[in-house]
Amino acid sequence: MNPITRLLALLVLLLGSSLTHAQLTIDITKGIEGSGIPIAIAPFSGGAPEDITGIIAADLQRTGKFAPQPAGSRADYSVAGQASSGGSRGYVVQFQLSGAQGGQLLNLSFDAPANQLRAVAHRISDLIYEKLTGDKGLAGTRIAYVAGGGGTWYLVIADADGQNPQTILRSGQPIMSPAWAPDGSKLAYVSFEGRRPQIVVQDVVNGSRRTVSAAPGINGAPSWSPDGQRLAFTLSKDGNPEIYALNLGSQSPVRLTNGGAIDTEPVWLPDGSIVFTSDRGGSPQLYRIGPGGGAAQRLTFDGDYNARPAVSPDGRTIAMVHRRGGRFHIAVLDLQTRRFRVLTAGGLDESPSFAPNGKMIIYSNGQRLMAVSLDGSVKQEFALRGNGRDPVWAPFAR
Amino acid sequence: MNSSFRPLIAVAALALLAGCATTEQATTEEQQTTQDAAAQPGITAQPGQEAYSYGYGQAPGGVDAYDANGSAAGGRPGQAVAGGGSMVPADRIVYFSFDSAEVLPESRTIIEANARKLTGNQRTITQLEGHTDERGSREYNIALGERRANAVRQAMIAMGVAPQQIRIVSYGEERPAATGPDEQSYALNRRVEILY
Repeated sequence: MNPITRLLALLVLLLGSSLTHAQLTIDITKGIEGSGIPIAIAPFSGGAPEDITGIIAADLQRTGKFAPQPAGSRADYSVAGQASSGGSRGYVVQFQLSGAQGGQLLNLSFDAPANQLRAVAHRISDLIYEKLTGDKGLAGTRIAYVAGGGGTWYLVIADADGQNPQTILRSGQPIMSPAWAPDGSKLAYVSFEGRRPQIVVQDVVNGSRRTVSAAPGINGAPSWSPDGQRLAFTLSKDGNPEIYALNLGSQSPVRLTNGGAIDTEPVWLPDGSIVFTSDRGGSPQLYRIGPGGGAAQRLTFDGDYNARPAVSPDGRTIAMVHRRGGRFHIAVLDLQTRRFRVLTAGGLDESPSFAPNGKMIIYSNGQRLMAVSLDGSVKQEFALRGNGRDPVWAPFAR
Repeated sequence: MNSSFRPLIAVAALALLAGCATTEQATTEEQQTTQDAAAQPGITAQPGQEAYSYGYGQAPGGVDAYDANGSAAGGRPGQAVAGGGSMVPADRIVYFSFDSAEVLPESRTIIEANARKLTGNQRTITQLEGHTDERGSREYNIALGERRANAVRQAMIAMGVAPQQIRIVSYGEERPAATGPDEQSYALNRRVEILY
């Protein structure tokens, strides 16, 4: 057993214990700036041990597309339902979505155990959202982020409303840059355990871990290929940071960039090409190379600092960290129109990540998690009991 | 020393600063402050509040008190995390200007003293740990921290140290020496620590 394997084994042993008393909580404290479609939500009757009405209202409010109202208010749509004990699994949850003229749009029923009532409420929110907007909802999705620092670091997975946080890794050394596999079953991340960086892939269900890169120097910024078969990441083993791609079935990463500059933070576009940060032009900017490397095309020209790209699910938009007037903002570049927009007021904003429906971007202001809609109109703030950074939105569950 | 600088430094940081000419120069040649504390909802620093500096494994409490067991300074059994306030001494820290990996002339004294230790005992291994301030992209800061560590490494090699005596790791912004959204903290964080 080599030292790294031994460390991993020890860590996995410790994981079990931290999972059992994970108590991280984050709450949404700030609502949404802006208005939405009025939707009246009647209290769910039946006495279920979960505030289904409140969860649905909060979910819809958070989208920025809806303005939940008390029952009986004038509204474009209305929701009514009940959740009572019964059925094969403990509870039956039933709901109806109706239009203003009373026409029924949805009428569904779920059997669920008590500990799944929260998930059922999120499912109802997503069904309503999809029915009325045509887009898939995010209430049932999850996020991962890094918390702690200064002595203990945590890798946490939580529901998209910040509830239900689970620590999947606790370490006495920094954890960075989590990245979801396209099927949501694994996270790749950087761990400094043993006081040196390595790239680890961890199964989020059974907790098993595998170190996929522990080269001399930087092992950083892992990113999954769209098919989940490869990881791109940064290594500096040959002298300075370069982009590599590793077929997860093989042992040896292939180098994709070449030069004396910093090349880092690779992310894949749906066509297999890679966008990354490089200071080859004197300041950090985003560049694009083909699936096998080759000549790089510069993508960003606004300002002297554009870094940490994130790709929208449709591959059309790149979000990034953009510096303007000494402040760091989240900005987006439309690859088709070349339109560049700054989305956040700025400060220490960093680490953007797209929601799987492409409508929202989660990011960190250095201390806390925030989210902003792609059009900039909807803003969310996650109030954590501690801090949070490096957030990544999980893909839709399959 | 900048007159507004001294009162902002916490008691804990005084030990670090005592007799440290390097810190003075790193602070006085700062670019303008770019932070707006009011626009930083997550930042707890108030006007007049002191910046904290603490060794690895020592959380200032509150923000990092995450563990259900109530122990903020965790770490794993047998792990080489220095605890109990093991501050890196000032004569083993090289500071850098904003956005720069250039070794400043003022830093040569510290690098030379450490290079002499290494050339005097060729069995000694040093680990150079590169760090940045908290601004900007985290992974890009890892690369910048490595560039700083490499600059100190090159200077040491030029002073006669054998390359195999030097190891390098960059922590980027992940292990700040001082927490605080202000220039004073940033200046303390842009550093390479020379560890033995």
